[in-house]
Amino acid sequence: MTKLLLSLHVLAAIITIGPVTVAASMFPAATRRALAPTGTGRDRAALRLLHRICRVYALLGIAVPVFGLATASSLGVLGDAWLITSMLLTAIAAALLALLILPGQRRVLAGAPLPPARLGMLTGVFNLLWAVVVVLMIVRPGSTTGA
Amino acid sequence: MPRRPLEIAAVAELLSLAVLLVNLATAHVPQVTSLGGPVHGCAYLFVVILTAWHPAASRRTRLLAAIPGVGGLLATRALRAGRSQ
Repeated sequence: MTKLLLSLHVLAAIITIGPVTVAASMFPAATRRALAPTGTGRDRAALRLLHRICRVYALLGIAVPVFGLATASSLGVLGDAWLITSMLLTAIAAALLALLILPGQRRVLAGAPLPPARLGMLTGVFNLLWAVVVVLMIVRPGSTTGA
Repeated sequence: MPRRPLEIAAVAELLSLAVLLVNLATAHVPQVTSLGGPVHGCAYLFVVILTAWHPAASRRTRLLAAIPGVGGLLATRALRAGRSQ
């Protein structure tokens, strides 16, 4: 059962966090293109689509921590330091996405003058945070369950 | 936000809870509990967030969505009633 839960957890992470990473990283550059004097209706449609991808896959991404918790509980590692650190970093990354990145994208779509570089920076921090979590999940410092 | 994903999540929320409770009362299959728990948790969170995102959802509807088990169906019904008015 642990193996099934772990598979679902990793599968959910790949399918949901991957698209958010790509779409959120493309958003600032797409903003510059859409806001440039040469920006066309197609550029603005692309911007809306990127935001939609971020939003929908961020919602589906809830499955990642939920199945992660189930996996951890089934492995009996819920109290381990590496896991608590990962959960904390995940919570920070999720808060960043839900409270700053997605609302920022919505403001850009609504026409607010938000510098694309700021969204780019926030997205970079989000990507870095979850990359650290992935490394923690693989290295599991201090764990005795093997490589 | 279209209402359809909310309806699917609402049904999944109630169905998964029903499966968990029936299993608790009868067979006690551990696999059903391990898999049903996270599925129900996801469905519950989807319902709460989809309702919070819904532009037509009132404060009351958002609170209704947080009720375990039937919250999704109650929120769906409240949104449907609000639309027909």
